[in-house]
Amino acid sequence: MAPLKSLEQDYPILDSNFQSFCASHDIFSVEDLLLHDLYVLAAFAEQESSSERLKRGITQVLSIIDGQHQPWLNGMELLEDVQRNKHVLSTGCDGIDLLLHGGLRVGQLTELVGPSSSGKTQVCLLAASNVAKKHIGSVVYLDTGNSFSPQRVTHFICQHSDPAIDQAEHRTLQKVMNNISCKSVFDIFTMFDVLHQLEFNLRSQMQGGDCKVQLLIVDSVSSMVTPILGGSGSQGHALMISAGYLLKKLAHEHNIAVLVTNHTVGGDGGISKPALGESWKSIPHVRLLLSRDHGGSICNVSILKHPSMVESFASLFTMCAIDLPLSLSLGFSITPFTPYGISFFFIHPF
Amino acid sequence: MEVGRLPISASQRGKLIAAGYTTLSSFSSLSPSHLARDLKISDNEAAEIMRVASHSRRLDGSAGGCGTVNGAQTAWDMLHEEEMFPRITTSCVDLDNILGGGINCKEVTEIGGVPGIGKTQLGIQLAINVQIPVDYGGLGGKAIYIDTEGSFMVERALQIAEACIEDMSECGGLLRKDFQACQLKMHPNNILENIFYFRVCSYTEQIALINYLDKFISEHKDVKIVIVDSVTFHFRQDFDDMALRTRLLSGMALKLMKLAKDFSLAVVLLNQVTTKYIDGSFQLTLALGDSWSHSCTNRVILYWNGNERYAYIDKSPSLRSASAPYSVTSKGIRNSASNCKRIKMM
Repeated sequence: MAPLKSLEQDYPILDSNFQSFCASHDIFSVEDLLLHDLYVLAAFAEQESSSERLKRGITQVLSIIDGQHQPWLNGMELLEDVQRNKHVLSTGCDGIDLLLHGGLRVGQLTELVGPSSSGKTQVCLLAASNVAKKHIGSVVYLDTGNSFSPQRVTHFICQHSDPAIDQAEHRTLQKVMNNISCKSVFDIFTMFDVLHQLEFNLRSQMQGGDCKVQLLIVDSVSSMVTPILGGSGSQGHALMISAGYLLKKLAHEHNIAVLVTNHTVGGDGGISKPALGESWKSIPHVRLLLSRDHGGSICNVSILKHPSMVESFASLFTMCAIDLPLSLSLGFSITPFTPYGISFFFIHPF
Repeated sequence: MEVGRLPISASQRGKLIAAGYTTLSSFSSLSPSHLARDLKISDNEAAEIMRVASHSRRLDGSAGGCGTVNGAQTAWDMLHEEEMFPRITTSCVDLDNILGGGINCKEVTEIGGVPGIGKTQLGIQLAINVQIPVDYGGLGGKAIYIDTEGSFMVERALQIAEACIEDMSECGGLLRKDFQACQLKMHPNNILENIFYFRVCSYTEQIALINYLDKFISEHKDVKIVIVDSVTFHFRQDFDDMALRTRLLSGMALKLMKLAKDFSLAVVLLNQVTTKYIDGSFQLTLALGDSWSHSCTNRVILYWNGNERYAYIDKSPSLRSASAPYSVTSKGIRNSASNCKRIKMM
């Protein structure tokens, strides 16, 4: 919130008279006004000669402050918003969809954690190609490691036939691939710029149609944050948290599903834990842990954190085979199991 | 707070917030001297802050099409762009096959293995193969070789260069009988001239060099490969502050990625191995730990299998995991001499 003198241009009632009155009470910026006792200030204003103007000035500043926060919503409005806007995007892998009760939820930030080469980028590419293909919407892919592979995306989209042989196939492929835009970002300030640009574009364009962004993927957020985290200052920490909040804000206000990837570091006792530390843990809504057997092609996915599932029962394993050029497939069976009155599904492969 | 996203120093940011300026619009209409007076900093610093802020504001307001961001490419365009860049061959057909044709430009490839497996040989071979002229299917570019261990031998490079030229003339003789006139005028000395060699002796030199490469490559636009041999040597010993090491390494990795993308060149990092206790047994993994393993696009691990040298694709966004044999001969890296030519799929 700006100092009072810079507001004078937009709000002429906050003139120099008002400013000097405030200055006499040690109020120089809007924040100072918030901290002051307003009744006492109004009482002092009464004693001044231009008390009406001063009181109108105080009301003006208060209305500026009121305009800064989000509107209040009640439960019914929230429920309507969820039912109308916050649907679920399938990731393209049946196993992960089943684990997440449908897929990536719009309005939530989903994080994929895993050691190197465990399939995180593959899941991101699959989700991107699936959303571009099946849902009417576009995908924004922010890539820090030059790992966005258009050939792999082509494989995922054209599973059953050879790409670029059929003319109609070729045109559909082009249409679908034009829905995915990829940008390379190599430091966190560039990412902030890109996200603010995206927010501005989303706010100013008309909603609906093919251009609506449905999925935002950041691969990977940890490689951008690690160079600045730690050290003497806490600026890196602040930037990481602001980035997390900005992603969640984009997700909620513009009805986008956000998917980010993170890597693991060694923890106590040699057990690996997700990178980026304790403060990042609370930022994603859903955290999934991926792991791959050394040299195998089967990946395990399990839930580390979910807003509506109990994770103590959720070493739910689901197996997906990642094998070129077939798509991700799954073999599993489900048995319902009800302890303590909580029902959940235990999934195991046959 | 909006000022948190400006790339300014922490103390300047603190002063801005303490003076009450938390959004970009709050100080954009001020003059630099006014801001300097408010924050009690020099005029130059204030002018710098305002320049950075107005740059960010300008980016915000610029219109992109259809909700996408500026500077983004669609996947369709990227697919066709990829077809335009040939890959750098390794001179071993099996190895090229599992790599999808060779080392890819615009990507960072990490190659690691036990000592003596042939990492430096592969590095020298790539530095020479990048210079194969476009007529012969290569890139016709130059190479930057950053040597941290002192293992680059010029005599060996000369030997490999001569062998490469011999191979090319054979190839040229077979395929293009009518191209005798424009027979390659390549001489081993020309090849050696096109390799820019840097020797670094400490980690600060290494980081400084990588920062400087941006400027160097803008002046020498035909550099098409940067080889760092080995990237881990100076970071493995005598590092007291592990957190600092992680920050330096990840910063370096991002800069290399940016180099690869901006100048469309290939970056090859050669790495050493260490042992790690996984799942109850000791296994060989690449050095520098878990955070470094995420800093490359592709990873190839070289290992011994009996008496043969093998290469294994450990990580790649688009290549299948496979291993292939190769051998190190007097002519450089060549196909393995054994009869078993099948590529093993993992």
